Amino acid sequence: MTRALITGITGQDGSYLAELLLDKGYEVFGLVRRASTGSFERIDHLLHKVTLISGDLSDQASLIDAMRQSQPDEVYNLAAQSFVADSWKQSEYTGDVDALGVTRLLEAIRREKPDSRFYQASSSEMFGKVKETPQTESTPFHPRSPYGVAKVYGYYITLNYRESFDIHASNGILFNHESPRRGLEFVTRKITDGAARIKLGMESELRLGNLDASRDWGFAGDYVEMMWRMLQQDEPDDYVVASGETHTVREFCEIAFSRLGLDYEKYVVSDPRFFRPAEVELLHGDSSKAREVLGWEPQVSFRDLVEMMVDSDLARLSR
Amino acid sequence: MPKRALITGIAGQDGTYLTEMLLAKGYEVFGVLGPCPGAFADRMGQYEGRLHLIEADLTDMASVLAAVETSAPAEVYNFAAQSSVGQSWSDALTTTDINAVGVLRLLEAIRAAAPHARVFQASSAEMFGNAEESPQCETTPIRPESPYAIAKAYAFHLVAAYRKSYGLHASNGVMFNHESPLRSLDFVTRKITDGVARIKLGLMSELRLGNLDSRRDWGFAGDYVDAIWLMLQQDGPDDYVVASGEVHTVREFCEVAFSHVGLDYREHVVVDPAFFRPLDVNIQQGDASKARRVLGWSPKVGFSELVAMMVDADMERLG
Repeated sequence: MTRALITGITGQDGSYLAELLLDKGYEVFGLVRRASTGSFERIDHLLHKVTLISGDLSDQASLIDAMRQSQPDEVYNLAAQSFVADSWKQSEYTGDVDALGVTRLLEAIRREKPDSRFYQASSSEMFGKVKETPQTESTPFHPRSPYGVAKVYGYYITLNYRESFDIHASNGILFNHESPRRGLEFVTRKITDGAARIKLGMESELRLGNLDASRDWGFAGDYVEMMWRMLQQDEPDDYVVASGETHTVREFCEIAFSRLGLDYEKYVVSDPRFFRPAEVELLHGDSSKAREVLGWEPQVSFRDLVEMMVDSDLARLSR
Repeated sequence: MPKRALITGIAGQDGTYLTEMLLAKGYEVFGVLGPCPGAFADRMGQYEGRLHLIEADLTDMASVLAAVETSAPAEVYNFAAQSSVGQSWSDALTTTDINAVGVLRLLEAIRAAAPHARVFQASSAEMFGNAEESPQCETTPIRPESPYAIAKAYAFHLVAAYRKSYGLHASNGVMFNHESPLRSLDFVTRKITDGVARIKLGLMSELRLGNLDSRRDWGFAGDYVDAIWLMLQQDGPDDYVVASGEVHTVREFCEVAFSHVGLDYREHVVVDPAFFRPLDVNIQQGDASKARRVLGWSPKVGFSELVAMMVDADMERLG
């Protein structure tokens, strides 16, 4: 039985990936941090099928133990301080987990099971102030947030352990990917949650940042398939994973509210407090390489994605 | 009141030269001593009263904050680093904690306690790796190939992000190799000149080195701290390549160093694969035209003069 270790298994991507791997017959291990409040809602339905190991990317010994216990054929590093806006407020923590944490995990692999295949969740935020559009695997990085800077580090250290130590380590440069399991601090989920609350009369307005910020959004369930495919290749490599379409926050609002028969313009307020200190410019990914080499096609369109998220929030809040 | 400067890594080669220069200009200097202070204190004894040493460590946020608060600096120079590229493979975590996240801690401390201070970050030409273009300038894409270089790239990007996000007067000096009699013995240049002196004095018979065909752009550290100081005297912060613009091989360095004391390097130098790096960058050549134009900087010590100066210093020390 193939064995996989997933860090960040309680997150959006971790939960979808765990489902995918379980479907494929894997034995799945998940690294979880001890927290005083439970954070297992996304994997509640999987808890009897996966083995959870207590550990933390900021603790080297715990990662060595996790590798020793799980003896994985594949390691997926999805754990991160994943919220860009908080990376200005908790910059040191972001650096410790998102940058140093990757090195700690690679070191644990190198020590305990160097033939494990490794997936690093790199991010389109690395492109930041973009140098060309759309962005491909060869676009130079210009990160603009402590999060983006740490992710660039994680990208290069992954590449470096591949080249220096011959580890089968790949980077997926994922553009934004959303789902009903996205955290509420992300703008997409904030919108669909807000729209549902307004529809149900629980709230009257929705305060957002820059409505003209443009993003390349896809469905997380589609994207985890790509992570898995990268590790099935003979050779490790780096791949951009993106929908290739861009939409503004405003368009997202439009579709979300109209799904509920509402006009977003009556409820959405643009609040400068939510603007980032330095906004990234147009993030627009070109995933031709992933489509060609990995034979991938995303299944869920932008509209379907927004509606899936609105429907799910409406159902959740109506309960 | 004299201008106050805070220098981390003050006892290192660059810290020492810069300290001498700033004290001569009338500054009051606060220095964070590294783990190996060496002969720094003796050398600086004459400046008692305007030189203060602070105990702090870039891996410890509280100590960094205290250092910035105590010194209340107008200028901050960050030279502290795990500075050996070779060691960074075996010590990737410490290297990252100091060279990457350590810079973040320092910037956060400056933001909190001295937001108007001007900041110099010692960035490194190692960030360019096997650059696609030669010579390398400020716009050459960054492609780091060692944990050391990856950590330095993190710091480089972070300085730019803090400049943009918070308006800090923070500049990167992208420093090509710079040597001097104060270079530590783990660097190839100093290892050679020390070896030459030992062989000349009959203390040793052979010198074991790595790849003799490695090419580097070497300058004199005393010249390079001029450029560093000039960066912080500009109205606006920016990034500057500091380089000699000439490249020489390790072999040429040996040739000049041995012949300076009347020896033939071919009779004494042994190539030892044990000193080869897991990945070596082949050619580094810097284009410092921006620094020359904007800062009005020009180096004064040429290659042969530099090598001779280093050999003479080692002969005197050992003789």
